[in-house]
Amino acid sequence: MSGAPPPAIEVHDLTVSYHAKPVLWDIDVEIPAGQLVGVVGPNGAGKSTLLRAILGLVRPASGWVRIDGEPRRRGRHGCGYVPQRESVDWDFPVDVLDVVLMGTYGNLGWFRRPGRRERERAMHALEQVGMQDLARRQIAELSGGQQQRVFLARALAQDAPVYLMDEPFSGVDAATEAAIFEVLRTLRAAGRTVVVVHHDLQTVEEYFDHVLLLNLRLVAAGPIRDTFTRENLLATYGGRLTLLDEAAEAVRRGSVDTTAWRPPPDGAS
Amino acid sequence: MIPVEYNTAVVLLGTAALGLAAGSTGSLALLRGRALLSDALAHATLPGICLAFLLTGSRSHPALLLGALATGALGVVLVAALSRRGRIKEDAAIGAVLACFFGAGIALSGAIQRRSPDAAQAGLDGFLLGQPAGMLLSEALTIAGVAVATLLLVALLAKEWKLVCFDPDFAAIEGWPVRLLDLLLMLLITTTVVLALPAVGVVLAAAILIIPATAARLWVDRLVPMLILASSFGVLASVTGTLLSARFPALPTGPLIVLAAGCLFLISLLVSPRRGIVARATAERRRRRERERRRLLGTIFTEQEAAPESPVSEGALARRRVWGPGRLRAHLEDARRRGWIRWGPRGIELTDAGRQRAARIVRASRIWEQYLLSQAQIDRDLIDLDAEEIGHLLPPHLVAELERSLADRGLLPLGSEGSPA
Repeated sequence: MSGAPPPAIEVHDLTVSYHAKPVLWDIDVEIPAGQLVGVVGPNGAGKSTLLRAILGLVRPASGWVRIDGEPRRRGRHGCGYVPQRESVDWDFPVDVLDVVLMGTYGNLGWFRRPGRRERERAMHALEQVGMQDLARRQIAELSGGQQQRVFLARALAQDAPVYLMDEPFSGVDAATEAAIFEVLRTLRAAGRTVVVVHHDLQTVEEYFDHVLLLNLRLVAAGPIRDTFTRENLLATYGGRLTLLDEAAEAVRRGSVDTTAWRPPPDGAS
Repeated sequence: MIPVEYNTAVVLLGTAALGLAAGSTGSLALLRGRALLSDALAHATLPGICLAFLLTGSRSHPALLLGALATGALGVVLVAALSRRGRIKEDAAIGAVLACFFGAGIALSGAIQRRSPDAAQAGLDGFLLGQPAGMLLSEALTIAGVAVATLLLVALLAKEWKLVCFDPDFAAIEGWPVRLLDLLLMLLITTTVVLALPAVGVVLAAAILIIPATAARLWVDRLVPMLILASSFGVLASVTGTLLSARFPALPTGPLIVLAAGCLFLISLLVSPRRGIVARATAERRRRRERERRRLLGTIFTEQEAAPESPVSEGALARRRVWGPGRLRAHLEDARRRGWIRWGPRGIELTDAGRQRAARIVRASRIWEQYLLSQAQIDRDLIDLDAEEIGHLLPPHLVAELERSLADRGLLPLGSEGSPA
């Protein structure tokens, strides 16, 4: 395998801690280029922190990160990023197109305003997520799924070789979920690497080629086939996986009772 | 037209320029969550003014404002240091710094007054509540120059500051120096606050940054219009306050400017077309009335559905205990006037138009219910209980599927099949 391209992301000896509490412990992992990579683990496992450490948003206690074989660069050849939806104030005075245009600022540089080329790029990104008709909508008026798609479009406008996404599938409707997955596949087809923090174990095998199982430390990493196994999941989730199993079983058995029309709830809504 | 004296004209120039700068700076401060910090900053300037007087013995503005700048900046740095890494919550740090610095300032000014009552008093008291009446042309021109520089800087860095205010993490990833941009913004806020001191005083300086910006936000939904409107409100408030104070010399200018800004805010809060209290209350009242109408039609429809042969009696509706007898009567009368129901020989009958609308209402409501029941991962924000037509809210294939499962259980309202999806 000599002459193989360097891994898209290389994380070495990475430890992040808040005060004395470790959040990530000695992570060593290489993420191959051109793949859809899921990051899976229980709540508080450090999934978001791993993304933020790769992006340079948190300072690690030790370790380093390389992107495309080089120390992390910012701007033009940096990473595309889809943060958690709750990370910004959606009542901010901007519209959908304004937000997506922010993805082009890195290329624009200081003082220059987005022009026709940037607007076309932003509109193209909006089309990819099916939001072109809402370009002039105030962002406060969007549904949760639409907000998620705006963030995805902004990342597409960044046009980066590597994308990091923090729970893009969380709390979105089925249509948005399908639209996001479609975008992920398009990115992979274009040779981009996409790392996605994911919470839904049911869809991991369908969505991703490669998986990182994380719980403070890296439990396992590799192609889905070899890595996404029951033993590895048990090691990642501990006893909590059985709870998940039981919940899934209960849902399968449960029946939905019929309900007749009731007057709509009273005014206070 | 009020005749404007030379003195008043000078003061007008100064305060109007101040309002212009404060509106734009204040908008950015507000969006970056620095409104409270700018208030602490203003209060923290008082000890600096006093110390500068003690050191130089001069009442000239440049010396005193330099002192103000020094302790004001110190206060901001202290808040940042205290609240870094969550050591102390930021609001607590702001409260503590504001109170301590202001207390120190008051103590110092008390000491100064005792030592040299005549010389100090006028100058220092002016800084507490503002005293622009004695403004010199050179001072007014300085303020105007700084205001123009502020607007230029905001125009130059609007894109960068917009990004940092909206999503600082994303800005950092894209390679923008977030700390530098934050520092620049803080410097701009500091300059504006210090500039405002002679006009509106330590206690109220932050108000002319915060209030016009807050009022502007109620009218517009994009950044540049907000900056322009906030600056316009700032100028309007400054001019109004200054002219009122020139007309009624007993009333101090600074508080009048702030009051004028407060009035603009109050008016905006009441009548702004989308966020205003009146508009929201009107829309809510209309929504509620519509909802009641739909509820009545839906109830009559389901009663009829249960017993298709017999007309619906008013008593049957009353037994639903949704409305009291008086309200029910009024709603029925309203529905009759609108041509949805008529009083038949044995009770209430839906007219053709009424039946069609009722079927649509019941269908929409049941589809939403079915949607909630059957779709585990839903976009709750799509649900709109007031919508009678669902086609534009949910994808058509999903509506068809929901309708099928309703029809399977005999819950699809008769007469609604023909209505557009």
